[in-house]
Amino acid sequence: MPSRIELLQGTLDMLILRTLLFGPAHGHEIAKHIQRTSEDVLQVEHGSLYPALHRLEKKGWVASKWEMAKDRNREFKYYRLTPAGKKQLTVEDSKWKQMAQAIAQVMGPAEQS
Amino acid sequence: MPWWGRRKKDAEIDRELRAHLDLEAEDQRKSGLSEDNARYAAQRALGNATLIQEDTRAVWRWTWLEQLGQDLRYAIRGIWKNPGFSVTATVSLALGIGAATAVFSVLNAVALRPLPVAEPDRLVVLRPELRGKRFVLFNPLFEELRDSQQSLSGMFAVSDEPYLKAAFNSASPSFVRGSLVSGNYFQVLGLSPAFGRLFTAEDDEPSVESCAAVVSHSFWQRTLKGDSAILGQPVVVREKHCTIVGVAPAGYRSHEAGYAPDLWVPLRPLTDPNLLASRGMAFYSGVIGRLRPEVTIAQAETELNEIYQRLQPAAQPSPHPGETPITRGDFRMRVLPGEQGLDQVRVRLGQPLVLAFAVVGVVLLIAAVNVANLLLARGAARHTELATRAALGAGRARLMRLLAFEGAALSVGGGLLGVGLAFLAAPALPGVLPLPATVSLDAAPDIRVAAIAVAATLFASLLTGLLPAWRLSRQDLHSAVAGGERATAARSRQRLTRTLVAAQLALSLLLVTTAGLLLRTMVRVMAVDPGFGTSHVLLMDIKDTEPAAKFGEVDTSEAKERRAVRYRTLDERMNAIPGVQAASLSWLGLFSSSYVGLNVYDADQPASGRFTLVDYTSPRYFEAVGMRLLRGRGFTADDREGSLRVAVVNEAYVRERLPAGLEAIGRRLVMTYADDRRPWSIVGIVRDSKYNDLRKSASEPMIWVPLSQAPFKFTSVSLRVHPGAEAAVTREARIALAATSPHLMVRKTTTLRDQVDQTTARERLSLSLSSSFGGIALLLAAVGLYGTLAYAVARRTREIGVRLALGARPGSVLRLVVGESFKLLLAGMLSGVPLALAAGYVMRGFLFGVTPYDLSTLIGAGVLLSVVALLAALAPARRAARVDPIVALRYE
Repeated sequence: MPSRIELLQGTLDMLILRTLLFGPAHGHEIAKHIQRTSEDVLQVEHGSLYPALHRLEKKGWVASKWEMAKDRNREFKYYRLTPAGKKQLTVEDSKWKQMAQAIAQVMGPAEQS
Repeated sequence: MPWWGRRKKDAEIDRELRAHLDLEAEDQRKSGLSEDNARYAAQRALGNATLIQEDTRAVWRWTWLEQLGQDLRYAIRGIWKNPGFSVTATVSLALGIGAATAVFSVLNAVALRPLPVAEPDRLVVLRPELRGKRFVLFNPLFEELRDSQQSLSGMFAVSDEPYLKAAFNSASPSFVRGSLVSGNYFQVLGLSPAFGRLFTAEDDEPSVESCAAVVSHSFWQRTLKGDSAILGQPVVVREKHCTIVGVAPAGYRSHEAGYAPDLWVPLRPLTDPNLLASRGMAFYSGVIGRLRPEVTIAQAETELNEIYQRLQPAAQPSPHPGETPITRGDFRMRVLPGEQGLDQVRVRLGQPLVLAFAVVGVVLLIAAVNVANLLLARGAARHTELATRAALGAGRARLMRLLAFEGAALSVGGGLLGVGLAFLAAPALPGVLPLPATVSLDAAPDIRVAAIAVAATLFASLLTGLLPAWRLSRQDLHSAVAGGERATAARSRQRLTRTLVAAQLALSLLLVTTAGLLLRTMVRVMAVDPGFGTSHVLLMDIKDTEPAAKFGEVDTSEAKERRAVRYRTLDERMNAIPGVQAASLSWLGLFSSSYVGLNVYDADQPASGRFTLVDYTSPRYFEAVGMRLLRGRGFTADDREGSLRVAVVNEAYVRERLPAGLEAIGRRLVMTYADDRRPWSIVGIVRDSKYNDLRKSASEPMIWVPLSQAPFKFTSVSLRVHPGAEAAVTREARIALAATSPHLMVRKTTTLRDQVDQTTARERLSLSLSSSFGGIALLLAAVGLYGTLAYAVARRTREIGVRLALGARPGSVLRLVVGESFKLLLAGMLSGVPLALAAGYVMRGFLFGVTPYDLSTLIGAGVLLSVVALLAALAPARRAARVDPIVALRYE
């Protein structure tokens, strides 16, 4: 198992929005999805996931609805991306790219030496 | 978010988290864990579900406000759980805040509230001064000043007449509170009538046929039930026929605090023309003006002063012996802010009320410190509870807020209770104060009183809330959970509570000393020998309202003769009343609050003329008021018009006005009244007595002459009665007056003792307020000391148990606690003495016969404080001595 990395402050919101781009999902699915797509490197702290989801909902970037799951006989709270959320995601995406680039530039020379 | 929404949100978050747990457990099961282990692993992965739930919910709400509400609920619950403590705290704060509010409401009514008129801040009071002392303004000067000045848009004169004879609607005459005012009075004040019309300049012409009268709104409501038919009703005022033309606006009482006339009449038509023209006799209560826009008080004063000085004669002799002649420059016209109108009552009561307010402020301080201290002590007892709360995650700020809220909630409770009581009591307060009958105060609370009440409550809240909270902020909570607080923290908190108790004791010493000084003042004043006998002397204040033959004319000799006969008849009737030992009529009488005299000289030394106090009396005067005749004789029925003109003088006259060593009896003196220079022969000498002020040490020269030989209208009947006969004599005397003349009207009936006491109203007001509040302060300090010691004993139970187990005697434990209290007492006294001395210095003007730094008063206050402190220490000390070592050591 690769060593796990704590999420950078503020990146959880972006990852949630990004995950919801593929379609509505409930909290557990989102956590699992992030974990899976990062090949278990990114460990989502469940304790911060739900406050984050509600924070996004309050901001109007995601909307929620209790719906029956397709594979089982139980209702879950599904979150979906709103148009405002989509816009926010592009903002965060470009911010993130800038930052990643900047960090790579700083970190690059050290590797070469 | 409303609470119902909150519940729904909680349930939703709960459901969401449960779904998550189920799914996670399922995943764990799939990876091969047993059912129980899977569920446990899921929970572990999620972490503290409650915390997550709270954090999630926190996203949705205004947490800060909600926590505030929660803390308030905690605070109130805490208060509710300790009714004994809470009641003590609330009541002591209510006492402090209520007393401050009540005293302030009276102070406000006397000295602070502006007149309810248009732009009161533009009003000014004109006050003439002669050589730096208040002087009077004569009517001709007033009129010239008014007509030539430019600074004021209007100015008016007022002559208050608390006993104005008026007969409404042809009913028999009675006295009403009246004000004689210039025609532009209402106009300058900017008032409009509630009904009808107010005065105009024409109403104030002396020649008007029928004068106009305005009644007060409350008089209209009270007596005529607000009937509109009041307009046009006739009222005879001082024999002048007037017509009611209007009603003053509701809420307007008068041009000064403490006076509420029922009737306003124009000044000039109702005043003796001789008086109006006089440059030597004044009758004004005061003059008020309104500044023109853009004119400042200083500018107005410059102008008015200049005119006033110009109106004075170039030089005139001083009425007081030995003083240089008076020049124009000795006169000065002061222009003072007139927002509150004239200041007669303010001058009289303002200072004692300010003193009382200061005292009440100190009481409030003591009460607040007391409650803060009790909260601190209780906070110590709750140390473990607070530590537990801290361990469960309450932040220090949150705990501080909790404690602050407890103190504040108590203060607000005390404030509400106190202010409620004060507001209920305030309107009745002037009734319990020693005020003259003609003073009526409207102490109803207003916005200023409310502001003071809020300020007092805030002040108490800050002290009671912040002090314990601040204390908490400096102590280590976490060590408490482990087991007992650290000794250092305990000691430093002890230091704070002890400092507070010492401060309370110091403040108490201050108040008790203040009360002591005033008490000694009062005792000294009461012990002054007035020179007459105050017991069992009835006084009737009479007004002979018989009109002069022609208005404004000096009495004719026939009128005088008739009056002399009438007075003689009355005198005989009064003396014949059963139960009367001696009765006498007099022009002024004793302690009449007047100061009237004439220029008097020894007939053989015409140049020796001096101002000398004079009174005119019927024969048995000295007997009636109990003045001792030292030599010669008093007056008899044989001293009458036509016989030898006789006079009685006092010792001071003989001492100061006659050459030493000469026989006084038989000497003749001249009183310069009008053109009369016929001499009076001295036939008797009476012992010196006080004239109208007990505090004045030196007796002034004084002369009495028979009323029958100079029949001025008398104003006073003195009746020395047998004890117990007062009521019957009063009744009979009224009958005798009515039988003699319908013009003899009784203004009031009192006793000589009350009349004298009235002159010490200021002292008695100060004393009663400061002693009652001093008592409260003492009580509060005792409670504070008791609380602190009781707490200290409770905390040291274990230590005391050890001491006792090791062989200490209960007596030594007793001494330990009492010694503790004396340490506090000593600290309090040491810091209280300078305070008390400073207070004595500040209030030196109130003292009589005692210095501000009176050592015996200070010692007395110290002893009283020590006794109270000892009593407060006794119960905790005995409790400490009774500690059972076995129980104490098992405890904890």
